[in-house]
Amino acid sequence: MILDGAAIASLYRSHGHVVLRRARTLLGSEPDAREVLQEIFTALVRNPDAVRSAGSIVGWLYQATTHHCLNLLRKARTGARVLELHVRPGLSESGGPRGEAAAEVRRLLALLPEDVAAAVVYHHLDGMTHAEVAELLGCSRRQVGYLLERAQGLWDRAEQTA
Amino acid sequence: MNLTATPLSWNACLSALRLDRWMMGELGAADAETVGTHVSSCAACSAAVAGIRGVREEVRALPLPAALGRPAPRRRIPGAAVAGLGLALAASLVVVLRPPPAGERSKGGGLGLTMFVQHGEEVRRAAPGETVSAGDAVRFAVSTPTPAYVAVLSLDPTGKASVYFPQAPRAAQVPAGTEVPLPLGTRLDTTTGEERLLGIFCASPVELEPIRLGLEQGQDGIPLPADCQGLRWSFVKR
Repeated sequence: MILDGAAIASLYRSHGHVVLRRARTLLGSEPDAREVLQEIFTALVRNPDAVRSAGSIVGWLYQATTHHCLNLLRKARTGARVLELHVRPGLSESGGPRGEAAAEVRRLLALLPEDVAAAVVYHHLDGMTHAEVAELLGCSRRQVGYLLERAQGLWDRAEQTA
Repeated sequence: MNLTATPLSWNACLSALRLDRWMMGELGAADAETVGTHVSSCAACSAAVAGIRGVREEVRALPLPAALGRPAPRRRIPGAAVAGLGLALAASLVVVLRPPPAGERSKGGGLGLTMFVQHGEEVRRAAPGETVSAGDAVRFAVSTPTPAYVAVLSLDPTGKASVYFPQAPRAAQVPAGTEVPLPLGTRLDTTTGEERLLGIFCASPVELEPIRLGLEQGQDGIPLPADCQGLRWSFVKR
Protein backbone atom coordinates (compact mmCIF):
# COMPACT_ATOMS: atom_id res chain seq x y z
CA MET A 1 0.00 0.00 0.00
CA ILE A 2 1.17 3.53 -0.75
CA LEU A 3 0.71 6.02 2.11
CA ASP A 4 0.14 8.87 -0.29
CA GLY A 5 -1.66 12.18 0.09
CA ALA A 6 -5.03 10.51 -0.25
CA ALA A 7 -4.24 8.04 2.52
CA ILE A 8 -2.97 10.81 4.79
CA ALA A 9 -6.13 12.80 4.08
CA SER A 10 -8.13 9.80 5.24
CA LEU A 11 -5.94 9.54 8.32
CA TYR A 12 -6.68 13.21 9.02
CA ARG A 13 -10.40 12.47 8.98
CA SER A 14 -10.19 9.36 11.12
CA HIS A 15 -7.48 10.39 13.61
CA GLY A 16 -7.30 14.19 13.47
CA HIS A 17 -9.41 14.54 16.61
CA VAL A 18 -6.59 12.89 18.59
CA VAL A 19 -4.46 15.95 17.75
CA LEU A 20 -7.07 18.71 17.96
CA ARG A 21 -8.51 17.75 21.33
CA ARG A 22 -5.14 17.59 23.08
CA ALA A 23 -3.77 20.68 21.34
CA ARG A 24 -6.76 22.63 22.65
CA THR A 25 -6.01 21.50 26.20
CA LEU A 26 -2.28 22.17 25.94
CA LEU A 27 -2.45 25.53 24.21
CA GLY A 28 -5.81 26.95 25.34
CA SER A 29 -6.17 28.60 21.96
CA GLU A 30 -8.46 27.38 19.19
CA PRO A 31 -6.51 29.02 16.33
CA ASP A 32 -3.22 27.61 17.68
CA ALA A 33 -4.74 24.15 18.15
CA ARG A 34 -6.04 24.08 14.57
CA GLU A 35 -2.66 25.20 13.33
CA VAL A 36 -1.02 22.28 15.15
CA LEU A 37 -3.55 19.92 13.57
CA GLN A 38 -2.69 21.20 10.09
CA GLU A 39 1.07 21.21 10.68
CA ILE A 40 1.26 17.64 11.97
CA PHE A 41 -0.59 16.20 8.99
CA THR A 42 1.18 18.47 6.51
CA ALA A 43 4.47 17.18 7.94
CA LEU A 44 3.23 13.64 7.32
CA VAL A 45 2.86 14.42 3.63
CA ARG A 46 6.57 15.29 3.58
CA ASN A 47 7.57 12.26 5.62
CA PRO A 48 4.93 9.49 5.51
CA ASP A 49 7.43 6.92 6.77
CA ALA A 50 7.31 8.57 10.18
CA VAL A 51 3.97 6.97 11.01
CA ARG A 52 4.36 3.79 8.98
CA SER A 53 7.09 2.57 11.34
CA ALA A 54 5.12 3.45 14.48
CA GLY A 55 3.63 0.61 16.49
CA SER A 56 0.55 2.69 17.25
CA ILE A 57 -0.78 5.54 15.14
CA VAL A 58 -2.57 6.98 18.15
CA GLY A 59 0.63 6.81 20.21
CA TRP A 60 2.62 8.49 17.46
CA LEU A 61 0.04 11.30 17.26
CA TYR A 62 0.19 11.77 21.02
CA GLN A 63 3.96 12.15 20.85
CA ALA A 64 3.89 14.50 17.85
CA THR A 65 1.16 16.70 19.34
CA THR A 66 2.86 16.94 22.72
CA HIS A 67 6.23 17.80 21.19
CA HIS A 68 4.69 20.41 18.89
CA CYS A 69 2.60 22.07 21.60
CA LEU A 70 5.40 22.18 24.16
CA ASN A 71 7.59 23.89 21.56
CA LEU A 72 4.88 26.48 20.98
CA LEU A 73 4.50 27.10 24.70
CA ARG A 74 8.24 27.61 25.05
CA LYS A 75 8.34 29.99 22.08
CA ALA A 76 5.44 31.99 23.52
CA ARG A 77 7.23 32.27 26.83
CA THR A 78 10.47 33.34 25.14
CA GLY A 79 8.67 35.94 23.03
CA ALA A 80 6.87 37.35 26.03
CA ARG A 81 10.10 37.59 28.02
CA VAL A 82 11.86 39.41 25.18
CA LEU A 83 9.00 41.87 24.96
CA GLU A 84 8.78 42.11 28.75
CA LEU A 85 5.11 41.18 28.58
CA HIS A 86 3.11 38.61 30.50
CA VAL A 87 2.00 35.56 28.50
CA ARG A 88 -1.64 36.09 27.68
CA PRO A 89 -4.18 33.39 28.44
CA GLY A 90 -5.41 31.42 25.40
CA LEU A 91 -8.23 32.91 23.37
CA SER A 92 -10.67 30.22 24.42
CA GLU A 93 -9.95 30.52 28.11
CA SER A 94 -12.49 32.22 30.28
CA GLY A 95 -11.34 34.63 32.89
CA GLY A 96 -11.45 34.04 36.59
CA PRO A 97 -9.48 31.71 38.86
CA ARG A 98 -9.86 28.62 36.67
CA GLY A 99 -8.59 30.41 33.59
CA GLU A 100 -5.64 31.83 35.50
CA ALA A 101 -4.82 28.43 36.97
CA ALA A 102 -4.87 26.87 33.50
CA ALA A 103 -2.54 29.59 32.26
CA GLU A 104 -0.23 28.86 35.19
CA VAL A 105 -0.03 25.20 34.17
CA ARG A 106 0.92 26.20 30.63
CA ARG A 107 3.55 28.61 31.92
CA LEU A 108 4.99 25.78 34.02
CA LEU A 109 5.09 23.44 31.04
CA ALA A 110 7.07 26.06 29.13
CA LEU A 111 9.63 26.19 31.95
CA LEU A 112 10.23 22.48 32.29
CA PRO A 113 12.78 20.42 30.34
CA GLU A 114 11.20 18.53 27.43
CA ASP A 115 11.10 15.09 29.04
CA VAL A 116 9.79 16.41 32.37
CA ALA A 117 7.09 18.48 30.64
CA ALA A 118 6.04 15.52 28.51
CA ALA A 119 5.75 13.32 31.60
CA VAL A 120 3.52 15.96 33.25
CA VAL A 121 1.34 16.18 30.16
CA TYR A 122 0.91 12.44 29.80
CA HIS A 123 0.35 11.69 33.48
CA HIS A 124 -1.66 14.68 34.70
CA LEU A 125 -3.36 16.02 31.57
CA ASP A 126 -3.96 12.68 29.80
CA GLY A 127 -4.47 10.60 32.94
CA MET A 128 -1.93 7.96 31.94
CA THR A 129 -0.44 5.41 34.29
CA HIS A 130 3.32 5.39 34.80
CA ALA A 131 3.48 2.34 32.51
CA GLU A 132 1.65 4.17 29.72
CA VAL A 133 3.86 7.24 30.14
CA ALA A 134 6.95 5.02 30.07
CA GLU A 135 5.78 3.47 26.79
CA LEU A 136 5.45 6.86 25.10
CA LEU A 137 8.66 8.27 26.54
CA GLY A 138 10.66 5.12 25.90
CA CYS A 139 11.91 4.90 29.47
CA SER A 140 11.31 2.90 32.64
CA ARG A 141 8.44 3.42 35.05
CA ARG A 142 10.99 4.32 37.70
CA GLN A 143 12.26 7.10 35.44
CA VAL A 144 8.70 8.37 34.98
CA GLY A 145 8.32 8.61 38.76
CA TYR A 146 11.56 10.56 38.94
CA LEU A 147 10.47 12.95 36.18
CA LEU A 148 7.15 13.65 37.92
CA GLU A 149 8.84 14.29 41.25
CA ARG A 150 11.24 16.63 39.54
CA ALA A 151 8.32 18.44 37.91
CA GLN A 152 6.58 19.02 41.24
CA GLY A 153 9.85 20.27 42.76
CA LEU A 154 10.46 22.69 39.89
CA TRP A 155 6.86 23.86 40.11
CA ASP A 156 7.15 24.50 43.86
CA ARG A 157 10.35 26.52 43.34
CA ALA A 158 8.76 28.52 40.51
CA GLU A 159 5.82 29.40 42.74
CA GLN A 160 8.10 30.48 45.55
CA THR A 161 10.09 32.81 43.32
CA ALA A 162 7.00 34.28 41.60
CA MET B 1 -0.52 24.21 43.22
CA ASN B 2 -0.36 20.43 43.34
CA LEU B 3 0.11 18.97 39.90
CA THR B 4 -2.38 16.22 40.64
CA ALA B 5 -5.26 18.71 40.70
CA THR B 6 -5.13 21.35 37.99
CA PRO B 7 -7.92 22.74 35.79
CA LEU B 8 -6.40 20.83 32.88
CA SER B 9 -6.16 17.47 34.66
CA TRP B 10 -7.87 14.44 33.12
CA ASN B 11 -11.02 13.44 34.99
CA ALA B 12 -11.84 9.93 33.79
CA CYS B 13 -10.67 6.60 35.28
CA LEU B 14 -9.10 5.34 32.08
CA SER B 15 -6.45 7.45 30.41
CA ALA B 16 -7.16 9.48 27.31
CA LEU B 17 -4.60 7.33 25.47
CA ARG B 18 -6.36 4.07 26.34
CA LEU B 19 -9.77 5.45 25.38
CA ASP B 20 -8.44 6.83 22.09
CA ARG B 21 -6.80 3.51 21.27
CA TRP B 22 -9.99 1.64 22.14
CA MET B 23 -12.06 3.86 19.89
CA MET B 24 -9.57 3.47 17.01
CA GLY B 25 -9.43 -0.31 17.30
CA GLU B 26 -5.82 -0.51 18.48
CA LEU B 27 -6.42 -2.56 21.63
CA GLY B 28 -6.26 -6.33 21.83
CA ALA B 29 -9.54 -8.23 22.07
CA ALA B 30 -9.42 -8.83 25.81
CA ASP B 31 -8.35 -5.28 26.61
CA ALA B 32 -10.98 -3.82 24.27
CA GLU B 33 -13.68 -5.84 25.97
CA THR B 34 -12.48 -4.70 29.40
CA VAL B 35 -12.53 -1.06 28.33
CA GLY B 36 -15.92 -1.36 26.67
CA THR B 37 -17.46 -2.96 29.74
CA HIS B 38 -15.99 -0.29 31.99
CA VAL B 39 -17.07 2.64 29.79
CA SER B 40 -20.64 1.39 29.68
CA SER B 41 -20.85 1.55 33.48
CA CYS B 42 -18.72 4.60 34.29
CA ALA B 43 -20.17 8.08 33.98
CA ALA B 44 -16.80 9.84 33.92
CA CYS B 45 -15.35 7.60 31.19
CA SER B 46 -18.59 7.70 29.19
CA ALA B 47 -18.47 11.47 29.29
CA ALA B 48 -14.84 11.40 28.17
CA VAL B 49 -15.73 9.13 25.24
CA ALA B 50 -18.61 11.41 24.30
CA GLY B 51 -16.22 14.35 24.34
CA ILE B 52 -13.76 12.50 22.10
CA ARG B 53 -16.56 11.60 19.67
CA GLY B 54 -17.65 15.23 19.56
CA VAL B 55 -14.20 16.41 18.49
CA ARG B 56 -14.01 13.57 15.96
CA GLU B 57 -17.18 14.84 14.30
CA GLU B 58 -15.79 18.38 14.32
CA VAL B 59 -12.63 17.32 12.49
CA ARG B 60 -14.63 15.35 9.91
CA ALA B 61 -16.47 18.56 9.05
CA LEU B 62 -13.29 20.65 8.73
CA PRO B 63 -11.82 21.39 5.30
CA LEU B 64 -8.68 19.43 4.50
CA PRO B 65 -5.36 21.26 4.90
CA ALA B 66 -4.14 22.65 1.59
CA ALA B 67 -1.20 20.23 1.47
CA LEU B 68 -3.58 17.26 1.49
CA GLY B 69 -5.32 18.42 -1.68
CA ARG B 70 -8.95 18.80 -2.63
CA PRO B 71 -11.41 16.03 -1.95
CA ALA B 72 -12.54 14.09 -5.00
CA PRO B 73 -15.52 15.50 -6.92
CA ARG B 74 -18.85 13.95 -5.94
CA ARG B 75 -19.93 12.44 -9.21
CA ARG B 76 -21.97 9.26 -9.49
CA ILE B 77 -21.29 8.39 -5.88
CA PRO B 78 -23.65 8.56 -2.89
CA GLY B 79 -22.76 11.66 -0.88
CA ALA B 80 -22.11 9.81 2.37
CA ALA B 81 -19.71 7.40 0.71
CA VAL B 82 -17.53 10.00 -0.94
CA ALA B 83 -17.19 12.44 1.94
CA GLY B 84 -13.46 12.90 2.52
CA LEU B 85 -12.52 10.50 -0.29
CA GLY B 86 -9.66 12.75 -1.43
CA LEU B 87 -8.17 10.41 -4.05
CA ALA B 88 -5.18 11.37 -6.12
CA LEU B 89 -4.93 11.38 -9.91
CA ALA B 90 -4.39 8.04 -11.65
CA ALA B 91 -2.05 6.34 -14.13
CA SER B 92 -2.30 3.92 -17.06
CA LEU B 93 -2.59 0.08 -17.03
CA VAL B 94 -5.90 -1.69 -17.47
CA VAL B 95 -7.52 -3.73 -14.72
CA VAL B 96 -10.67 -5.70 -15.27
CA LEU B 97 -12.80 -6.59 -12.32
CA ARG B 98 -14.35 -10.04 -12.38
CA PRO B 99 -16.93 -11.42 -9.99
CA PRO B 100 -15.74 -14.12 -7.58
CA PRO B 101 -15.46 -17.61 -9.08
CA ALA B 102 -18.43 -19.98 -8.82
CA GLY B 103 -18.67 -21.65 -5.46
CA GLU B 104 -17.06 -18.77 -3.63
CA ARG B 105 -19.25 -16.92 -1.24
CA SER B 106 -19.72 -13.38 -2.47
CA LYS B 107 -22.13 -11.88 -0.02
CA GLY B 108 -24.00 -12.99 3.04
CA GLY B 109 -25.73 -11.71 6.11
CA GLY B 110 -26.09 -8.17 4.75
CA LEU B 111 -22.33 -7.77 4.43
CA GLY B 112 -20.79 -5.99 1.49
CA LEU B 113 -17.41 -4.85 0.19
CA THR B 114 -17.33 -2.06 -2.39
CA MET B 115 -14.42 -0.45 -4.15
CA PHE B 116 -14.50 3.19 -5.28
CA VAL B 117 -12.04 4.19 -7.94
CA GLN B 118 -10.74 7.51 -9.15
CA HIS B 119 -9.50 7.70 -12.71
CA GLY B 120 -8.58 11.17 -13.83
CA GLU B 121 -11.21 13.54 -12.58
CA GLU B 122 -13.89 10.90 -12.32
CA VAL B 123 -14.80 8.93 -9.21
CA ARG B 124 -17.08 5.92 -9.51
CA ARG B 125 -18.10 2.70 -7.83
CA ALA B 126 -16.28 -0.28 -9.38
CA ALA B 127 -18.49 -3.19 -10.38
CA PRO B 128 -17.64 -6.77 -11.46
CA GLY B 129 -16.72 -6.75 -15.09
CA GLU B 130 -16.07 -3.02 -15.18
CA THR B 131 -12.75 -1.82 -16.54
CA VAL B 132 -10.57 0.13 -14.13
CA SER B 133 -6.97 1.24 -14.52
CA ALA B 134 -4.11 -0.03 -12.34
CA GLY B 135 -2.39 2.95 -10.82
CA ASP B 136 -5.82 4.38 -10.16
CA ALA B 137 -6.48 5.46 -6.59
CA VAL B 138 -8.97 3.24 -4.81
CA ARG B 139 -10.81 3.27 -1.53
CA PHE B 140 -12.98 0.62 0.01
CA ALA B 141 -16.36 0.85 1.67
CA VAL B 142 -18.14 -1.81 3.65
CA SER B 143 -21.72 -2.62 4.43
CA THR B 144 -22.60 -4.34 7.68
CA PRO B 145 -25.89 -4.55 9.57
CA THR B 146 -24.12 -4.40 12.93
CA PRO B 147 -20.82 -2.84 14.08
CA ALA B 148 -17.97 -5.14 13.09
CA TYR B 149 -14.20 -5.40 13.12
CA VAL B 150 -13.12 -5.20 9.49
CA ALA B 151 -10.00 -5.67 7.41
CA VAL B 152 -9.28 -5.76 3.68
CA LEU B 153 -6.38 -7.92 2.48
CA SER B 154 -5.08 -8.68 -0.98
CA LEU B 155 -2.98 -11.31 -2.70
CA ASP B 156 -1.21 -9.81 -5.70
CA PRO B 157 -0.24 -11.70 -8.85
CA THR B 158 3.27 -12.35 -7.52
CA GLY B 159 1.86 -14.13 -4.50
CA LYS B 160 2.56 -11.32 -2.06
CA ALA B 161 -0.20 -10.66 0.44
CA SER B 162 -0.74 -7.31 2.09
CA VAL B 163 -3.27 -5.53 4.28
CA TYR B 164 -5.03 -2.63 2.59
CA PHE B 165 -6.95 -1.70 5.72
CA PRO B 166 -6.37 -0.99 8.56
CA GLN B 167 -2.88 0.36 9.21
CA ALA B 168 -2.77 -1.65 12.41
CA PRO B 169 -2.08 -5.24 13.45
CA ARG B 170 -5.74 -6.04 14.16
CA ALA B 171 -9.05 -5.63 12.39
CA ALA B 172 -10.55 -2.21 13.08
CA GLN B 173 -14.07 -1.44 14.21
CA VAL B 174 -16.49 0.15 11.79
CA PRO B 175 -20.05 1.22 12.54
CA ALA B 176 -23.11 -0.46 11.09
CA GLY B 177 -24.23 1.03 7.80
CA THR B 178 -24.31 0.77 4.06
CA GLU B 179 -21.14 1.55 2.14
CA VAL B 180 -19.31 3.01 5.11
CA PRO B 181 -16.03 4.34 3.66
CA LEU B 182 -12.88 2.93 5.23
CA PRO B 183 -10.04 5.30 6.10
CA LEU B 184 -6.81 5.12 4.12
CA GLY B 185 -7.10 4.98 0.35
CA THR B 186 -4.51 3.20 -1.76
CA ARG B 187 -3.28 2.99 -5.34
CA LEU B 188 -3.23 -0.13 -7.49
CA ASP B 189 0.28 -1.05 -8.55
CA THR B 190 1.40 -2.11 -12.02
CA THR B 191 1.90 -5.85 -11.41
CA THR B 192 0.00 -7.74 -14.10
CA GLY B 193 -2.18 -10.79 -13.47
CA GLU B 194 -4.97 -11.68 -11.13
CA GLU B 195 -5.26 -9.94 -7.74
CA ARG B 196 -7.56 -11.25 -5.07
CA LEU B 197 -9.19 -9.20 -2.35
CA LEU B 198 -10.42 -10.61 0.92
CA GLY B 199 -12.67 -8.54 3.15
CA ILE B 200 -13.20 -9.93 6.63
CA PHE B 201 -15.95 -8.99 9.07
CA CYS B 202 -15.42 -10.14 12.64
CA ALA B 203 -16.98 -9.82 16.07
CA SER B 204 -13.61 -9.03 17.66
CA PRO B 205 -10.36 -7.27 16.61
CA VAL B 206 -8.61 -10.34 15.25
CA GLU B 207 -4.90 -10.48 14.49
CA LEU B 208 -4.29 -9.96 10.77
CA GLU B 209 -0.78 -11.34 10.30
CA PRO B 210 -1.83 -15.03 10.50
CA ILE B 211 -4.48 -14.37 7.85
CA ARG B 212 -2.02 -12.48 5.64
CA LEU B 213 0.54 -15.29 5.97
CA GLY B 214 -2.12 -17.86 5.16
CA LEU B 215 -2.93 -16.02 1.95
CA GLU B 216 0.75 -15.97 0.95
CA GLN B 217 1.15 -19.66 1.72
CA GLY B 218 -1.53 -20.47 -0.80
CA GLN B 219 -4.35 -21.19 1.62
CA ASP B 220 -7.01 -19.93 -0.76
CA GLY B 221 -9.80 -21.41 1.26
CA ILE B 222 -8.02 -20.05 4.32
CA PRO B 223 -9.95 -20.80 7.49
CA LEU B 224 -10.90 -17.54 9.15
CA PRO B 225 -11.24 -17.06 12.91
CA ALA B 226 -14.50 -18.48 14.23
CA ASP B 227 -16.24 -15.13 14.61
CA CYS B 228 -15.35 -13.85 11.13
CA GLN B 229 -17.01 -13.92 7.73
CA GLY B 230 -15.14 -13.30 4.51
CA LEU B 231 -16.00 -11.64 1.22
CA ARG B 232 -13.83 -12.18 -1.85
CA TRP B 233 -13.23 -10.29 -5.08
CA SER B 234 -10.89 -11.04 -7.93
CA PHE B 235 -9.65 -8.82 -10.71
CA VAL B 236 -7.14 -9.23 -13.50
CA LYS B 237 -4.61 -6.73 -14.79
CA ARG B 238 -3.77 -7.00 -18.43
